[in-house]
Amino acid sequence: MDSREALMLSNKDNVATSLEDTEPGADVRVRIGKEVSKIKAVERIPFGFKIAVTDIDKGLNVIKYGESIGITSQDIKQGQLVHIHNIEGARARGDLVKGDSK
Amino acid sequence: MNFLGYERPDGSVGIRNYVLVIPGGFLGTKICDFVKGTRTIVTADSGSGRTSRDRETIARTLIGLGMNSNVASVIVHSLSAGSGYPELRASQIAEEIASTGKRVELIDVSKEASTLRALEKGIQLAREMVLEASRLRRQPFGLDRLAVGVKCGASDTTSGIAGNPVVGNLFDRIVGAGGTAFFGESTEIIGAEHVLAKRGANQGVSKRILEVAAETEKIAKSTGEDIRTINPVPSNIAGGISTLEEKSLGAIHKSGSTPIQGVLKYGERPKGKGLYFVDNWMSMGSIFAGYTASGAQLVIFQLGGGGWSGNDLLYNSTAVVAPLMFTTANPKTLAMAPTSIDFYSGTVIEGKDTIEEGGEKLLQTVLDIASGTFTKVETMRYADPTQIYLRDPCF
Repeated sequence: MDSREALMLSNKDNVATSLEDTEPGADVRVRIGKEVSKIKAVERIPFGFKIAVTDIDKGLNVIKYGESIGITSQDIKQGQLVHIHNIEGARARGDLVKGDSK
Repeated sequence: MNFLGYERPDGSVGIRNYVLVIPGGFLGTKICDFVKGTRTIVTADSGSGRTSRDRETIARTLIGLGMNSNVASVIVHSLSAGSGYPELRASQIAEEIASTGKRVELIDVSKEASTLRALEKGIQLAREMVLEASRLRRQPFGLDRLAVGVKCGASDTTSGIAGNPVVGNLFDRIVGAGGTAFFGESTEIIGAEHVLAKRGANQGVSKRILEVAAETEKIAKSTGEDIRTINPVPSNIAGGISTLEEKSLGAIHKSGSTPIQGVLKYGERPKGKGLYFVDNWMSMGSIFAGYTASGAQLVIFQLGGGGWSGNDLLYNSTAVVAPLMFTTANPKTLAMAPTSIDFYSGTVIEGKDTIEEGGEKLLQTVLDIASGTFTKVETMRYADPTQIYLRDPCF
């Protein structure tokens, strides 16, 4: 199988953005600047979606652009799809406001 | 790095040459139906039953549209449900616009024999004014006379990687040459405000950016809802964006890298030049008219589109007197809507262009449009109504 491309935006990131529709089992060339590392996609990663470049335990920050984009809601393994099913936003969470006067 | 534009009495330069009729409604619409080269605002926001803060926003928007350099001259009339309020009195609006030195005509409908006679007067005036405007000729001007506004929308992950950074590079070029650029979308700085605040031209600006994010987040929390069920919007999520923070961190790239000179209200005109953040709402039905009232001659919709199910006709949104151009970095979006998209920056993702090269090419497209070439959606008459950005309850 041909390898697929993904892009990391900062060396602090633990996710990369898939630049091609990527099937399970595909080798993924993760680019950051001119450096390339290889990981294996363990599930389908559509174009534009995020792949975990490292294991990220539940409750940790997901880092993209070198900044936190949210918190994992379950353990994520390298090569898995990272999206709304396994990460949550930490900001503007009105649903988590308890006892405040609205 | 010149464009061809129309010089106005106050030294500003238009890239279009319209006669504007305000407010909207019957008179505005009917005069524009009859007379070529005219524009009006189509909106239900008359100001009636609105707080003074909201009425001021409506007045600021109407006055700003009239003062915009794409407008050669203006007709202001009194046929509006809101015109009895002091802020929205037609004579007051006319007077403020006339401070630019451009021709402003006032039609007080109560002094005409009938509404239809007022319409006749408006049509005859508008015909005379477009004829007068048509005598103006374009001349070359530098980027210091250009102001642009941007919104990113239907954002997907191509927006943060390439589409927004290329627009950001355009902003750096325009601001670097002495021009003006507007960005905004207050909800979509939440999670990225600490990055943006570092770029304030002074401490006051940095503080105000953090305040806007905090105020917006407070209001969002008061709804009791998870923001992710509101914004990121469904098409963002379908395009790969997982959280508001991720959307925000991608969105701020459209502002480039220059210092932020100030934080403006919706429709507020800046005191100087450079890059400004506008405290506004992301809706395409609202944001573009606000930028235009702030002085933008051209507005840009940087489109993701990865989560769209299929819409090749990107209808014209209401910047009222400014052309709207579409950019995208998503090859699927380009393939879906080639007759609507003016510029493709996906070459950056494909490794064919750097962000700088993409920005240079986008600037050439912008200069071409500024000189008179239509944007693709500008070829169509239809535009959605404008929602002026009003924050208070109505009574």
